[in-house]
Amino acid sequence: MKKSEQRDLFPGALEMMILRTLKRQPLHGYALVQNIKRTSNDLLQIEEGSLYPALQRLLKDRLVKAEWGISSTNRRVRIYKLTVAGARHLEREVCSFERMLDGITRVLARGES
Amino acid sequence: MNWLKQLFSRGRLYNDLSDEIQQHLEEKIEELVAGGMSSEEAAHAARREFGNVTLIKEDCREMLAFTWIEALWQDLGYAARILAKSLGFPAVVVFSLALGIGANTAVFSAMNTVLLRGLPYEHPENLVTIWSTQETDPGSEDLPPIAEVTDWKKENQVFADIAAISASDRAMLTGIGEPGPVRIQSATQNFFDLVGVQPVLGRVFRTEESQEQFQTVVISNAFWKRRFNSDPNVLGKTFRLDGMVSTVVGVMPAGFTGFAPWYSYSSSTEGKSTEVWKPVNPGSARNAKRSDHWFMPVARLKPGVTVAQAQVEMDVIARGMEQAYPKSNKGVGEKVISLRDTLHKSARDTLYPLMGAVGFVLLISCVNVANLMLSRTEGRRKEYSVRASLGASRRRLMQQLLAECGLLTFTGSSLGVLLSFWGTRLMRAITEVPEATDIRVNGSVLLFAAGLSVLAALLFGLAPALRAARPDLNDALREGESRTYSGKQGRTRYLLVISEVALAMVLLVGAGLMINSLLRILLPSPGFDAANLLTMAVNLPGTEVKYVEKIPGKDMARVSPKVTAFHQQLLERVATLPGVELVGMISLIPPMGAGMRTFSILGHPGPSPGDRPEGFFNEVSPSYFRTMKIALKRGRYLEESDTTSAPWAVVISETLANRYFPNEDPIGQQILLRYEPQEVDEDRPRQIVGVVGEVKQIGMGGLHPLLYESFLQQPDVFQGGSEFFQLRGSLVIRTASDVRSHEADIATSVKQFVKEMDPDQPVTDISTMDDVLGKSIKDYKNYVVALGFLAGIAVVLAVIGVYAVLSYFVNQRTREFGIRLALGAQRGDVLVLVAKLGLTLAGTGLAIGVALALGLNRFMAEHLWLFDVKATDPATYAAVGILLACITLFACYVPASRATKVDPMTVLRHE
Repeated sequence: MKKSEQRDLFPGALEMMILRTLKRQPLHGYALVQNIKRTSNDLLQIEEGSLYPALQRLLKDRLVKAEWGISSTNRRVRIYKLTVAGARHLEREVCSFERMLDGITRVLARGES
Repeated sequence: MNWLKQLFSRGRLYNDLSDEIQQHLEEKIEELVAGGMSSEEAAHAARREFGNVTLIKEDCREMLAFTWIEALWQDLGYAARILAKSLGFPAVVVFSLALGIGANTAVFSAMNTVLLRGLPYEHPENLVTIWSTQETDPGSEDLPPIAEVTDWKKENQVFADIAAISASDRAMLTGIGEPGPVRIQSATQNFFDLVGVQPVLGRVFRTEESQEQFQTVVISNAFWKRRFNSDPNVLGKTFRLDGMVSTVVGVMPAGFTGFAPWYSYSSSTEGKSTEVWKPVNPGSARNAKRSDHWFMPVARLKPGVTVAQAQVEMDVIARGMEQAYPKSNKGVGEKVISLRDTLHKSARDTLYPLMGAVGFVLLISCVNVANLMLSRTEGRRKEYSVRASLGASRRRLMQQLLAECGLLTFTGSSLGVLLSFWGTRLMRAITEVPEATDIRVNGSVLLFAAGLSVLAALLFGLAPALRAARPDLNDALREGESRTYSGKQGRTRYLLVISEVALAMVLLVGAGLMINSLLRILLPSPGFDAANLLTMAVNLPGTEVKYVEKIPGKDMARVSPKVTAFHQQLLERVATLPGVELVGMISLIPPMGAGMRTFSILGHPGPSPGDRPEGFFNEVSPSYFRTMKIALKRGRYLEESDTTSAPWAVVISETLANRYFPNEDPIGQQILLRYEPQEVDEDRPRQIVGVVGEVKQIGMGGLHPLLYESFLQQPDVFQGGSEFFQLRGSLVIRTASDVRSHEADIATSVKQFVKEMDPDQPVTDISTMDDVLGKSIKDYKNYVVALGFLAGIAVVLAVIGVYAVLSYFVNQRTREFGIRLALGAQRGDVLVLVAKLGLTLAGTGLAIGVALALGLNRFMAEHLWLFDVKATDPATYAAVGILLACITLFACYVPASRATKVDPMTVLRHE
């Protein structure tokens, strides 16, 4: 019950997705969730709230920065931006993720044949 | 540094977070409503999709590193709030902890200074003292005569050297500034070398510099500062000590206070450190006497020699001495004791019982607090369960409770340390060693206090914390407490209460024994009327040629008739002063002592030399008895008509009459007194003319056989040393009305009279008799009060414990009592039920306490200063037992009577 992303995803996955999404454009929390959900074709069932602890962690590690601004729907929202460190971190993470995914895919493929 | 910044800006961070989440939800709702949902449905859906808002906020906070600090802060804040809500509980806890820790810290500061610190001498482990023992009394420790020490020096192979020091005594200082008392000590020349301490200025005295009218002295650093303002040119300066011209040849380093076999005239105002060391006059006949015991030998063991080896050697030497001097040394053994043990003996006797007592008090405090905490945790079970079921982790619950403990302990021990500053002052007063002035709260003492607090907190906090960490959710959340009472729940608490009562009982026994002793000292009248009595001393110096003339070649002194004339004239003049009703004089006022004389009774068979009748004598003016209002039992007082030309008279006390004249009338009997150190009888016998009531002449405890001679009926020539009593004169002045209103006037007049007769003569010890008596017992009284106070605290804490447990018991069973009453039980039955538990607990505690105290009776007998009371005194045990039983009964009564007032209807309605 403690962290839903741990049940649904592997550790760090949510962060990776956030960074990836923010790389395209700065977003506020709500938009970020909708964006991830939409992009994954609603395949990823994450609790919307679980985004916030992840964002706090990224903020603390200075991988993203946040500023108060006005959203397209005219709300006062906090807009998250990727930092340079964040971009570098994302690259490393994606790289290692791809290697891992590659590995997993190979194992699974052999099991099927 | 970033986290620190975050810590202080965390309020803003959290607000941002809340705002953000709020916006998120609102945006979601808006979108859902736009998609066709009703706003109520939308709100539900938004929350469902978002997840647990509180939990997510918690998670977010946890992402920030400072949560533990914050949790602690929160816990402390919560603890403070919850403690402040019911002030009784924290007050009791803080109070008992403060007392426990404060008392322990104060006593430890004394232990630390006096017992744990090394002796400030060179290789102190090689220093020993040597004492004489009597075959008939193996526990005895007497001072050997100095003549014997000289023999040992020649005969032994184990000691590098042997020095000798006298008791620390008081002398009158004149010739520099205001005349006043100083603490002096006689020492052999080699003493300083032997302990390995050299003067910082000058040198030590040489034996040959000591002559009849002149001596060289070494002064302490403190004395140098006080009297000479640390003058570097102090060497060669002279002053007079009891009239003896004394030249300063050396100044000892700061901190060298010396030590002594005992401290005469110990009074806390005067200090116990030796200020002036003077040499032993080698010409004195006392050096050759085998019957004169006034020096403590201090020896340094040769390297590699142990105390046991030295003992073997001294046994051999003692047997040799026994053969060589059968008259003086029959059955005399020698005991070698390390200097450390010798010096620490009196301090140990003071400190061990206190350390035990304060340890007990702290233990009881902890037990008590543990008990209260347990009851409290028990009472807050529902709160813990609710918190646990809302998601609080066990660790967090424990942390919360420990925060409470911590807060209580911290407050308690801070207060305790404050208390200990006051306590160390008391310790300085009641610890009878020179180092006592150094007792203070320092780093290691504070460290001790801190360690003690942590220990205390663990002792009382851990059990409740562990219990709180395992709340039984089902049980506790059910409405109300359990309906039936299982004995198991209370067992821990019962054990705690029993041990509290037992410990309190032990302390009460110790304090009871001391109070018993004190009462035996205080209650009997001193033998005279101390009200409206003023005393002051005019002690003429034995070194002034105008008063005393030493007879060349003999150890004798001729006292000038001027001495008697001086005192007589003074008495006459003082009698005429306004406000003075009567005036008398005595060599030493009670309870300051007397001189010992042995005697033979004319017409009785001559006593054997080792078993001569003893009496303690003082010279008095005839008016002394009437001034003091000492009861006349038989015969008459001394009168003005008892002059040198008349037959010499003596007045004796009842104790002496009963002891030596058990079956006959002492009046009319003649006795021949002997000054024992010189083994010479007086020239003329004295006739017993009166028997007077008992007076506490020598200390406040015990009665001694007393003799009173008139100062007008004394020989011209005294045996050396015995002229002392003729020269001393303490006035006792009875005023018609309140002595304090006359004190200053009379003192001024007496000083004026004395100055007119001899300008150099000081008047000292001006004090009311009430103050003299009070002061003589002050330190002991303080000690008893301290011990009694500790025992009192122990009892109060124990009673709180009994009360708390019974209250809890009654609360737990309110429902049961209600049902019992509804079913027809009498109120008396309920009362019995509660009282039975209370009595069982208190009774068991008492019994264990008595057993413990009896087990400790050897310790008590050894270390408690008991007067006329055995450590197993049944009356004391009974008295304190009954006292404790009564107090605990009272503690039972309140909860028990509450139990009987349970209204069955109210209780049953709750069912």
